[in-house]
Amino acid sequence: MPRVPSGRNWLAVLGRPAMVRLAVVAGLVLAWEWTARQFGNPLFVSPPSHVAVAMFGLLRDPEILHGIALTCWELIAAFALSVVIGLGVGLLVGLHRFTRASFYPIVLVLYAVPLVTILPLFVLVFGIGPASKIAFGACHGVFPIILTVSAGVQNIDPVLLTSARSMGASRRQIVSSVVFPHMVPAFFTGMRLAMTTVLLGVLLAELYVSQAGVGHFASQFTQTFQPQKLFALIVLLAAIAVTLNEACRWGEKRFSRWQAR
Amino acid sequence: MNFSRIAPRMVQAGFAGAVLGAWHLATSSGQVSPLLLPPLASVYRALVSLLATGNFWPDLRVTGSELLIAFSIAAIGGCVIGYLVGRSGYAVQVFDPLFAGLYSIPAILLFPLYVLFFGIGPGSKIAMGITIAFFPVVLSTIAGLRRVDRVYISAARSMGASGPRMFWRVMLPAAFPVIFAGLRMGLILAFLAILGTEMVASFAGLGHRIVDLAENMDSARMFAYVVFVVGIAFLLNVAVSFVDARLRREAL
Amino acid sequence: MSGATPAIQVERVTQAFGPPGSARRILALEEASIDVARGELVCLIGPSGCGKSSLLNVMGGLAAPSSGKVWIDGELVRGPSPRKVAYVFQENALFPWRTVIENLKLGMEFGRIPKGERHERATRALEAVGLSEFAGYYPGQLSGGMKQRAQLARALALETEILLMDEPFAALDEQTRMVLGEDLSVLLARTGKTIVFVTHSLMEAVFLADRVAVFSARPGRIKHILSVEEGHPRSPAFMTSAKLSALRNQLYEILHDEIRKAMNLRGPESASQAGKGEER
Repeated sequence: MPRVPSGRNWLAVLGRPAMVRLAVVAGLVLAWEWTARQFGNPLFVSPPSHVAVAMFGLLRDPEILHGIALTCWELIAAFALSVVIGLGVGLLVGLHRFTRASFYPIVLVLYAVPLVTILPLFVLVFGIGPASKIAFGACHGVFPIILTVSAGVQNIDPVLLTSARSMGASRRQIVSSVVFPHMVPAFFTGMRLAMTTVLLGVLLAELYVSQAGVGHFASQFTQTFQPQKLFALIVLLAAIAVTLNEACRWGEKRFSRWQAR
Repeated sequence: MNFSRIAPRMVQAGFAGAVLGAWHLATSSGQVSPLLLPPLASVYRALVSLLATGNFWPDLRVTGSELLIAFSIAAIGGCVIGYLVGRSGYAVQVFDPLFAGLYSIPAILLFPLYVLFFGIGPGSKIAMGITIAFFPVVLSTIAGLRRVDRVYISAARSMGASGPRMFWRVMLPAAFPVIFAGLRMGLILAFLAILGTEMVASFAGLGHRIVDLAENMDSARMFAYVVFVVGIAFLLNVAVSFVDARLRREAL
Repeated sequence: MSGATPAIQVERVTQAFGPPGSARRILALEEASIDVARGELVCLIGPSGCGKSSLLNVMGGLAAPSSGKVWIDGELVRGPSPRKVAYVFQENALFPWRTVIENLKLGMEFGRIPKGERHERATRALEAVGLSEFAGYYPGQLSGGMKQRAQLARALALETEILLMDEPFAALDEQTRMVLGEDLSVLLARTGKTIVFVTHSLMEAVFLADRVAVFSARPGRIKHILSVEEGHPRSPAFMTSAKLSALRNQLYEILHDEIRKAMNLRGPESASQAGKGEER
């Protein structure tokens, strides 16, 4: 990071990477605005100004708000489900040498199967409502958590366990007071990864079939050639996705503070 | 015999057996509709017939070509841009967070826009593949070039290397493992994205075929295609690992 | 020594690793016997892989011997006895996610010390090692020497009669080691604890111990027991005295051949480390 002199050295301030980045983004948006107005077919492209207007319109539409809320609920439910199941299975698999050797390869094999291929099956089983999206998303999110939690449990330095034992800790105490806290940073890493895949899973399922969620509106806007509304919706969803991802990243950093610097 | 070696294998075999057994029981007892879960035998038959007749070729060709085109563009574009940015520390500071930030947006959100723009033909899938594969490639290229161990550069410089020779002989080979990892990730993500979006809106391709069969309640053939696609994914992974190992050996 | 029951009695302890009857079976310790009197500091020294850490593990109840018995205060050892024996390890065994004082309290929780007493004991122990100011720090923020002192404080907080220390200062630089050694001697004089101390350092062994048990190369047998007749606390002057030099040279003579032997053995100290790892 170049040292920025204090005071009124505007050139230095403007030259800072963050500023330049902002300028680049602003430039791109302006270029988009100009080209869309000049050459763009309004059926296919839309300048950002129209998108902004459409966004306000969307936010005032109760149906759309309901759809966004429904999708958010699907995301959170899928995430919560994958966290709970992932933590449980991860602990069970990781804590015992035997379960590790037996079940870890099974998890890896299952993880290698692209869940995308059985998306229609999920819909056939769970219907076209939120349940299929939640199930699909949860199946995606469960794997990173199982893998990171069981790794976090396994990678504990043996001296910590021996030391606890020498102080008279019971097996239960070792698990709750030594293994569990040690595993927490890995758990949060898993959650961050899980959030990313849950987002992909739920959103894909929404696009595949959706009655009242955002997928429904996305299809509608696509078929009726309303790019400004579609883009506005995408921007809103992107904002939600980024917020969720950042929240998980914050959690990861917050709970990993004690790790080796 | 070493019990602790065999026991996990037995558990795994037992698990596989239990899954297949449950499947068989569910279908033969009539508890589950054959439209949802076809008997194992019929899936097997459908799979054999599929492979024998080669009916998968048209769809495989579509998906394969979409993947090839999308990945090539993303790989070349990502490497070139990554290289251009990676040359300057300042450019890295400007653009790397930008790319990383864009990467955190689920690319799949853009698909409806691509459909709007390109229709439901291969174009939208290719655009999706490019979008999703681009970021891992560009980020890993930048990272790989930036983090070339200073030691290698110092050593090479002390022996008189500079400029293009320094780049091609030292930096590129040193950065390569990281770049390759990014390429690999991009390939896998592109494959999954293309499959997924074929399911959402397409008139050809493996993803579309699976959805088509599902909608027509032809569950045996649908499962056959699922197995087939999983097999393709596995082969893809094996092929990439093979290339990885070969290149690693040559680099060393 | 007087007729009182020794604090620790080790009777013909043998420790072997690996499947019985196989070629991979390693005999780490063979028929080791020693008695440690109350208030004594005994050093175990020997070449790598000679089983001294294994013996310490057996004494502490962390490992069961292949044959032989150990008594602590006249009672047969069957498992860890946190009321009587506290351990200090070479590697950093502080829990990194807890502050120093929380580490001490957790240790007491494991040792089932009543909740009300924990804070007082912790503060006393930290004072004894001079870390009172750092009670709220995380292990990651401390230097190597401070971490070991904190570990010692955790062991002290358990207020056991016996302290087993497995090369606790090995990872530290020599200067820190010397100072910590002096502190340990002062602690011993003040508290009258019984300490068994495993080390590789000849200087450290002679400076700290009342008796030094010298081990042979694998399979480890107690080859010789050297007496150091010097009161505790050991003064820094003792470090540079002729008496210490003479004893140190004597120790070196006894050990020299064993060290050479150990260097030529295959699969060295990993025997005892593997043993420790197996305890999970």
